[in-house]
This record gives sequence, C-alpha cells and structure tokens, in this order.
Amino acid sequence: MAATASALSLPVSRREKGEEERQLVRLAQSGEEAAFEELIRRHQQRVFGLVSGILRRREDVEDVVQQVFLKVFVSLKRFDQRAAFSTWLYKISVNECWDYLRKKKVRPLVYEADLSEEQVSRLDGVVSADQPATSSSDRAEARDLLERMMEKLPEQDRELLVLKEVEGFSVQELAEILDLNVNTVKVRLFRARARLMDVYRRRLHSKPEQQTEGKEG
Amino acid sequence: MSMNSENRNAESSYVACPRYEAALEDQLQGTLRGPEAAMIADHLATCVGCRVALEDAAVSARLLAIAEPATDPGAGFSRIVMARIRQELQINEGKSIWRPFVAVAWRFAATAAFALVLLVSFDLGRHSQWVADQPIVAENRIPEIAPDRPSLPASRDDVILMMADTSHGKQ
Repeated sequence: MAATASALSLPVSRREKGEEERQLVRLAQSGEEAAFEELIRRHQQRVFGLVSGILRRREDVEDVVQQVFLKVFVSLKRFDQRAAFSTWLYKISVNECWDYLRKKKVRPLVYEADLSEEQVSRLDGVVSADQPATSSSDRAEARDLLERMMEKLPEQDRELLVLKEVEGFSVQELAEILDLNVNTVKVRLFRARARLMDVYRRRLHSKPEQQTEGKEG
Repeated sequence: MSMNSENRNAESSYVACPRYEAALEDQLQGTLRGPEAAMIADHLATCVGCRVALEDAAVSARLLAIAEPATDPGAGFSRIVMARIRQELQINEGKSIWRPFVAVAWRFAATAAFALVLLVSFDLGRHSQWVADQPIVAENRIPEIAPDRPSLPASRDDVILMMADTSHGKQ
C-alpha cells in the first residue's frame, strides 16, 4: 500500500507520468487493487469517450466500459508493457465495442425526416465563423442536427471523425488503436470530412422537389 | 463563412488530389512545417480541387466542434468497476472449487458412455451374426439317421412276428 501511495504522489512531468503509470501497472499486476483503481480513474474518461464514439446507444456505454476494465484486469498479468498501457487499453476498448455491436447486431439509426429550412439556416449559423451560436439551446439543437448528419456516414468515417474531432484522440493514437498506418488515418480522416460535407450539402441544402426526384430515381 | 448552396454544389464536383490528402490533413491540423509546408502552399496556389477540399475540411472541423465529448462518469465509477471485478472474481472462485470434481465427473460420464456404446455395438454385432447364420444352419442340417424306436410288442403273436422279421429266431 505504501508503494501505491508513493507511486500516486510522484510529480507529474510527462516522462515521470509515464514512469508512474508503468509503476502503477506493475503494482496492479502484483495484485494491488488500489493501483488498478487508480488506473481506472485516470483512463475512465477517455475510455468513455472512445466507447461512446463507436457505440450508438449511450445507455450501453457504461456497461461496455465496465466490461472493458474487467477484461483489462483479468488479462493484466499478460501485459508486458512493451506498448503504452493506454494504447493497450484503447485497443481492448475498440475490440469490445466491435464485439458488442456484432453480438447485438445494432443497426444504424435512421432518421426518416430531412431537416427543415429553419434548422438548416440554424446549422449554417453555427458553422459560420462570423456568427457562432451562443445560446445553449441553439447549440443543443445544432448538436442534434450534427448527430443526424453523422448517422448518414459510413460507420468507419463516423468513428474516425468522432474520435479525432470530438474525443480528442491524436492521429498517432488512432493509428495505434486501429492498427493502421498514420498516413492511412490521415487520408481516411480527410475523406471522411469530405463525405460529411457532402451529406451536409445534399441533405441540408437539397430542395424538396429534388429529394422527390432522387427517391424516384 | 456562410454556406451558399448553389456555389457549394458546384464546388462539390472538385476533389482533392489523392497524393496530397494526407498532407492536407496535416495542413488542417497545422502540423506541417518547413519544406512540406512550402510544397503544399505551392500546390494549393495552383490546384482548385485541393483548395476547395481544404476549405470543406475546415468547415467540417467547425461543424464537429459543436459536438460535446463524452462526460466523465464521475469519481464513483472506479468503485463500481472494482465492485464488479470483485464480484466476478468471487463467482469464478466459487466455480473453481468445484472444477476438479466437475472434471472428474465429466471424464467418468464420458468413459461410461463409451463403454455402453461398446457393449451395445458388440451385442448388436453378435445378434446380426446369429441372424445371418440361421439359413446356413438350416441348409446344413443333417437328417437324423437313428432308426425309429421300435414299439413294444403288444401280444405273443407280435413277438413271434418280430422274431421272424429280424431272423433272430433262426430255425
């Protein structure tokens, strides 16, 4: 317990933080529950972000995150610390999400109705650099509209954009978590942005008669 | 930057050059430095497709900035997880007490089942062999060669006749 306390009270420069985390992992591997609890505390928010970025149903996020930490606890003794603990943890999180989606056979949520002109202009206002939305209700509505647009994107695009732009994962981290080349992540991100803008234009700016033609075609 | 649908629709026919996409993402993140930054600046000066794609990417970043990251589950979450871990460990421990017995029981059951299958198949084999042998036995049955048992003489005349038949009463 004393070792845990000393590990927790280390100063927090970046390199020392890494060493401190390795020490925590070693303690947790030797069966120190307090050390593992500290690891959970340090990573829970990012794991929450990662899982909610991938899963569609927020009510299941907490359960999946708990499952992730349970798996990490069970297989911690096999973790050799060659990679960073966070990378290993995030990989387990991603795999757990995919397993969950496969088991539940979750289908994308489909919003039948397109957006009204008023909603479109409101979203335009939020996107516009010179007229940022200030009121919390405007922002809440804009978030809802964005969510609806994101649902139109392919799963992979949605995941990448949310993890990068919303949850703040770096390109390097995404490459490690998703087992991809850094350049591949950059290219996929850039293309995902283009597709998001495509949805933005087609879904939000198309006139009703154009939509009808599209459906008939 | 307000969106003009007609201009944007016209612009959407432009696409970025595939070989510059990764560098354009870097440019968007502001991580390009030195010669790479100069190279992409030169390219953007001449390529409308990449210029429009980069503008679009910047708009998408502003759009995505509306979204909020997942909220911190709170200080109590780690305790909940630890409680669940302890619970799972206890369940596994409970299972592990019985595990050797369960394993032995399974082996015993498997052996018994195997022996039963052997016995049944052996018995079936014997039965089918017996059934198959029946016609051969019937065919090869040797007729009885022993004479009929002589009936006892009923009277004195019968005795005389028998003696005459068998020539035992030689005269």
